[in-house]
Amino acid sequence: MTARPALSRLGPGPIPARAGIGLRAEHYDAVLETRPPVGWLEVHSENYFGAGGKPLDYLERIRAHYPLSLHGVGLSIGSTDPLDHRHLAKLKHLIRQFEPALVSEHLSWGSAGGRYLNDLLPLPYTKEALYHMVARVARVQDRLARPILLENPSSYLQYVESAIPEWEFLAELANRTGCGVLLDVNNVYVSARNHGFDPSAYLRAIPRHVVREIHLAGFTVNRFDDGELLVDTHNRPVWPAVWTLYRQAVQRFGPIPTLIEWDTDLPELAVLVDEARRADAILEERHAQAA
Amino acid sequence: MPRLRELQLGLVSALLDGDEGDFARHIRAAGLPGARRLQIYRNNTVLGLTDALAAVYPVTRRLVGAEFFQYAAAQYITRHPSRSGDLHEFGEHFPLFLQSFAPAAELAYLPDVARLEWAYHQVFHAASHPPLDVAALARVPADWQGALHFQLHPAARLLESAFPILRIWQVNQDNYPGDPTVDLAEGGVKLLIVRRENLDIEFQVLEDGEFSLLRALTTDGDFAMACERALATQPTFDLPACFQRHVLQGALVAFRLLDH
Repeated sequence: MTARPALSRLGPGPIPARAGIGLRAEHYDAVLETRPPVGWLEVHSENYFGAGGKPLDYLERIRAHYPLSLHGVGLSIGSTDPLDHRHLAKLKHLIRQFEPALVSEHLSWGSAGGRYLNDLLPLPYTKEALYHMVARVARVQDRLARPILLENPSSYLQYVESAIPEWEFLAELANRTGCGVLLDVNNVYVSARNHGFDPSAYLRAIPRHVVREIHLAGFTVNRFDDGELLVDTHNRPVWPAVWTLYRQAVQRFGPIPTLIEWDTDLPELAVLVDEARRADAILEERHAQAA
Repeated sequence: MPRLRELQLGLVSALLDGDEGDFARHIRAAGLPGARRLQIYRNNTVLGLTDALAAVYPVTRRLVGAEFFQYAAAQYITRHPSRSGDLHEFGEHFPLFLQSFAPAAELAYLPDVARLEWAYHQVFHAASHPPLDVAALARVPADWQGALHFQLHPAARLLESAFPILRIWQVNQDNYPGDPTVDLAEGGVKLLIVRRENLDIEFQVLEDGEFSLLRALTTDGDFAMACERALATQPTFDLPACFQRHVLQGALVAFRLLDH
């Protein structure tokens, strides 16, 4: 193997322990024109699965200025259908083209019997599902020839069949496959409220060394006559309670690259940059402690 | 205990086919009933796929209105479920679906407008291609030229309709400045949709001969046959100038000689 230069021909390499933002098409021009002072950018991999055209052209130009993370939402890695090799081939091609520092997917599934829901559905946390995920993650990592990160999903239901807490399932999966954890602190909070567990205990159950990235986003409260559910809508600022949980996460895991995600009702770029600045301040405090 | 496979097939069926009652027994009813929890997932799926469809078919949506579109999308999602984790592939059959969708039967032009939007979507995401090697084409001996086959730019599509779908598309763009009424009596249109090197997408309204030439050239026909068809469609048509224009402007990007 030939040694690679530290700085890719495409742009900056490793992702710093700073806050980044999710790059969406509506902000392409603003990012190129204003070059906001964020540490890195993350995109949804599938948005760049096309063979050519504007999305890839923009990404190439923006990549020259920022470290990049590829975040997948469509691989359906936890499905019992065969892995979609066409999907993996496209992802591998994209990785070769853009040399992302991080590649992530979700601890979830989104299809069965060939029908896709294009959503992040929870797995039943059973031994069978754990063995299945271990094999699938190993195959994906082999195919991509690199470790991936897996993100804990927001969930709105728990299966009667689940026998293992999600945090144990995730920790064991990381332990057995060597994959990293993308800890979505908002998702921990949302699931904790929806299912009545202690979000701090979730954080304490995840081994310190496996968390490589953190996500932050806003949720929506859906109220019904018979109760309420928190839904991970990515359409508003991070909630105060989630900032509090984030401080705990940064205390435990150290200064970890942190992403501000916003997908619907997208505000001006400056709003995302402000949220990132807030996360940066918390990361800075932790950097200072460590020094 | 059901296997993972059965649970997954059961949940997909609950969400797409509406067999919710049966699946609810697999859901812990702590706090809220299982059916309520399934409803969140069903909403997420339907909203997500409807948004994906609306992103590809904004003019179709505008023509029928948001509420009607939502209704049509919900039907489409059940009848032609998504087959890929890449949402760009979702919606291919929507024009055909609209054609047999009874509530839209009055809008005869609607399926063709949707076809135009799907073609635009494909052109938007297609691969780039270098221009045709004109010097190499000039070196092909004259008596072999009739057997040449040509390739359309990967980011180009030919489309014809009995309705003025280009005018309908244009007047339904945001901030269209002119008179937004379209007289259906102005008749059909033959179109080349092509992405330029600067990645902008252009519509060219083609003459009958021109359309026949390009379609024959880039599907089954060799050059000789395509010329014959084009001239049969429109005897007065300036074939050499038209051919040259589409080579130079990049709609035709490659050629090959098939063995006899």
